[in-house]
Amino acid sequence: MWKNVLGALRRPFKGMFGRQELTREERAEIRKAFSARYNHFRLLIQANTRAHDAMGELEEALRGYQPYSMQYVRALCTRISTLIFQMIRHLDSLHPEAYTRLFEVFQDIQERIHPHIEPAPPADTGQPSVLDLREVGREDVDACGPKVAMLGEAGNRLGLRIPEGFVVTTAAYGRVMRAGDLGDEINRLVQMTDPEDREAVYQLSSRIMQLIMSTPLPDELVRDILAAYDALAARLGREPKLAVRSSALGEDVEGATFAGQYRSVLNVGRTGLIDAYREVLASKYSVQAMAYRMNRGLRDEDVAMSVGCMAMVPALSGGVAYSRSPVNIRDDRVSIHSVWGLPRAVVDGTAATDIFVVDRHEPMHMSERVVAEKNEKYVCHALEGVCRGDMLDEERTAPSLTDEQAVKVARRTVSIEEYFGAPQDIEWAVTPDGRFHLLQCRPLMLVKNAAGPVHRPAGLPEPLLAMGRTASPGVGVGPVHVVLKSADALTFPDGGVLVLRQARPSRAALLDRCSAVVSEQGGIAGHLANVAREFGVPALFGVEGAVKAVQNGRIVTVDADGRAVYAGAVEPLLSEKPRERIMRGSPVQGALRKAARHIVRLNLTDPDSPKFRPSQCRTLHDIMRFCHEMAVREMFEYGTHDDVVQAASRQLICDVPKQFWVLNLDDGFTDEGAARTDRCIRLEEIDSFPLQMLWKGMHAVTWQGPPPVHTGGLMSVMFEATMNPNLTVGGGTKYTQKNYFMVSRNYCSLQSRFGFHFCGVESLVGDRISENYCSFQFKGGAANLERRIRRARFVGEFLEGFDFRARVREDNLFARVEGLDRKTMGHRLKVVGYLITHTRQLDMIMTSSAEVEKQRQQFLEDIAKFDDPA
Amino acid sequence: MSDSIRLLLVDDETDFTATLGRRLVRRGLTVETADCGEAGLSKLETFPADVVLLDVRMPGMDGLSVLHRIKELYPLTEVVMLTGHASMEVAIRGMELGAFDYLMKPVAFEELFYKVEDAAARKRLQEGRIEGRRRG
Repeated sequence: MWKNVLGALRRPFKGMFGRQELTREERAEIRKAFSARYNHFRLLIQANTRAHDAMGELEEALRGYQPYSMQYVRALCTRISTLIFQMIRHLDSLHPEAYTRLFEVFQDIQERIHPHIEPAPPADTGQPSVLDLREVGREDVDACGPKVAMLGEAGNRLGLRIPEGFVVTTAAYGRVMRAGDLGDEINRLVQMTDPEDREAVYQLSSRIMQLIMSTPLPDELVRDILAAYDALAARLGREPKLAVRSSALGEDVEGATFAGQYRSVLNVGRTGLIDAYREVLASKYSVQAMAYRMNRGLRDEDVAMSVGCMAMVPALSGGVAYSRSPVNIRDDRVSIHSVWGLPRAVVDGTAATDIFVVDRHEPMHMSERVVAEKNEKYVCHALEGVCRGDMLDEERTAPSLTDEQAVKVARRTVSIEEYFGAPQDIEWAVTPDGRFHLLQCRPLMLVKNAAGPVHRPAGLPEPLLAMGRTASPGVGVGPVHVVLKSADALTFPDGGVLVLRQARPSRAALLDRCSAVVSEQGGIAGHLANVAREFGVPALFGVEGAVKAVQNGRIVTVDADGRAVYAGAVEPLLSEKPRERIMRGSPVQGALRKAARHIVRLNLTDPDSPKFRPSQCRTLHDIMRFCHEMAVREMFEYGTHDDVVQAASRQLICDVPKQFWVLNLDDGFTDEGAARTDRCIRLEEIDSFPLQMLWKGMHAVTWQGPPPVHTGGLMSVMFEATMNPNLTVGGGTKYTQKNYFMVSRNYCSLQSRFGFHFCGVESLVGDRISENYCSFQFKGGAANLERRIRRARFVGEFLEGFDFRARVREDNLFARVEGLDRKTMGHRLKVVGYLITHTRQLDMIMTSSAEVEKQRQQFLEDIAKFDDPA
Repeated sequence: MSDSIRLLLVDDETDFTATLGRRLVRRGLTVETADCGEAGLSKLETFPADVVLLDVRMPGMDGLSVLHRIKELYPLTEVVMLTGHASMEVAIRGMELGAFDYLMKPVAFEELFYKVEDAAARKRLQEGRIEGRRRG
């Protein structure tokens, strides 16, 4: 069928002469038909422009510098598919039955994209909802998440003392999400929120968390959880209080720690257990957890929450231990961060902690000890939950571990590292009987490119503050923004320096847009420090008086390695940091990449090739290109058809030695112009803004003739190309052999040969700025290929100076600009018109760079005479 | 297009339809709303809409069935789908059933407004052609 179309296009062109006048009714009918067709055409090129946009967005996302979610990927691919489908449908309307094959090709491509972007709903495999912690080992990671699985492994195989308890599995999580389409509804809420709108993101988070908290759990699950509790109580001979902790699956991507982004609920009894479980599930959608997944390219649907429910350990002291230094790769000493009571204060970064550094080599011994003044501690509340407990005076300044105990903690830590074969980050407690309990263990995140010894250039200014601990290495500069309460976070500026009193984990939500963190309290073992290291954000903790010493909005430089904060930007400290491709290798980017294989690549580049047909379309971009090209041809074919030619197709009366025809697609002629019966049209009778602007540019400055290397005159070149089709690339349809403008009031396309090259311009300029565009295509020439390529590049680069995006393939140039207002668009059209006239045979001089530069200057000078609105 | 565009908003999020409806009225549209598919269909019996802006997922009759029914009863009425659940399958299915377009929330107001204008223009062109054929 496609061949018929081309066949029709190739029919001898006889419409210009010998046809009797149409009646007024006939003319009106034809106009109506033109309007309807033009409407399809306009919607097609509108979809084309949007698809261009969306594909540009997709390519940018693939580069991976900006974070995005799976919902975004899904919406973007759906948007592109919808647009391409519309293009096919409009083309189908322009020539019914001729392009049905495209629908099939589209369907095929669609089926190949689909599996990569649609969430496969996890099927219920009938796995148990609850497992006893005594039965759990590392092989249960899918059911229990890595944290609980590793804890079970350390307890049951390595023989360390771990709390008694049970785990509510990821299978249970799946059941919760499927109940009442909870998961679907969450996806919908996420998609509808603009991730750039901070306030909306906060609202989204609280809306989802409320939704989870208020959705009843399946009855069977409630029974299972309570039965597990009762069995535990029977075994212990008392009603235990539990620590309810997340152990999420899907957070164990390489390099992702997800430190403390989820909620733990401590000291929960039987009555509070179900709510606590839901609270932990809900914390998957805390602002910081969502921001974290977004920045790591993790898919929400991959993060399944398993929840560990473990008897509380009555800790005398507790804390965190690292089996080696997370910030210095050469330091293999064990560091222990310890407080009185529950370890929570260490993890939260809210209190001063003791630090014990133990040399791991036998005999293990204390290598460094910093005892902090500890003003408060967390203890279990008598009824439920935890509270700040009173501290005995002698406790405040006393070390929370004896040397002997510290060495014991270190010894256990090293044994866990040896057992799992990787550096460890553990949470531990020591009970009044002196026993060590392992509460949690996970691989320790080591800083990439860990800092070596710090050399500071001489002559630095006096710092505002000089103290603290390096929680995450590096130097950052930006305006100060103090965040003491959640509302302060809403106004946090991009690239700001985050200044805190306490290093709370929830502040991690800001890490993706801050350049450094300074906190008065909090240690390097806290969650915030962990995530800062992971994100490569310099962080300096333990800076007393920081909040008072700085002022919101003032620029400061934070030197986390040198442990100092300076006023202003201290240039000698700042080194250019390469932009990190944060999405690289992430699951979300992986999904997009796989889908993109069937979307972006353009294989159909040559419309004159026999391969330019539906069956050769491999990607959505191919279909898009094909539809656009064919739509233009269809419009042309219809407009030059015998029956309608009088109404639509005219020769332009102008004073240039070249023949132009103008085809009116809809409302491109004035009434006087339309009423003419001599099959001609004058320039002023054409009511098309883009054509007028283009024409102005083409004739604003008289062409000086070919550059000096050429001996022939202007006329010879002007006519040579049309006389000798062999000189030009491709060719074949009369459409490309004549100089045709197709116009409507807001639209213009020109296909023309000027000199030895072919050029095409297409532009829509109306009141809707987002739909405005101008595209310019340019190829061929008389010189050898190398010079033609150089010219194409020259023109491309030139246009890039005027907001165009240019792509050069051999001697083909494609340039496109979008989304500019009418006035600016008019200017760009003049620039393009100017280039059409003035780049003729420029290929001849392309080997002399001095000549080229001279031409460029001349071009710029000429163009400066146009009224540039910018 | 001298007459005001008649638009029916069908969405169970009544806050959304109320706000959007007000904005569209300010831009000169005649707007009616319905909070479910069934209500939308019965509204169409008395309100000859040029364009229906239809949520895909609502309680009761789902959007695709509503779309199907509208196209059966009022083939010239253009339907623009609007949804928070991006789904390629549903999008294409809807387009095959004759939807004018498939938009995903959040959608910029201007874009939505243009879409409604385009859909209305399309509908009136179709009407004009049918009218013309009848006369001819």
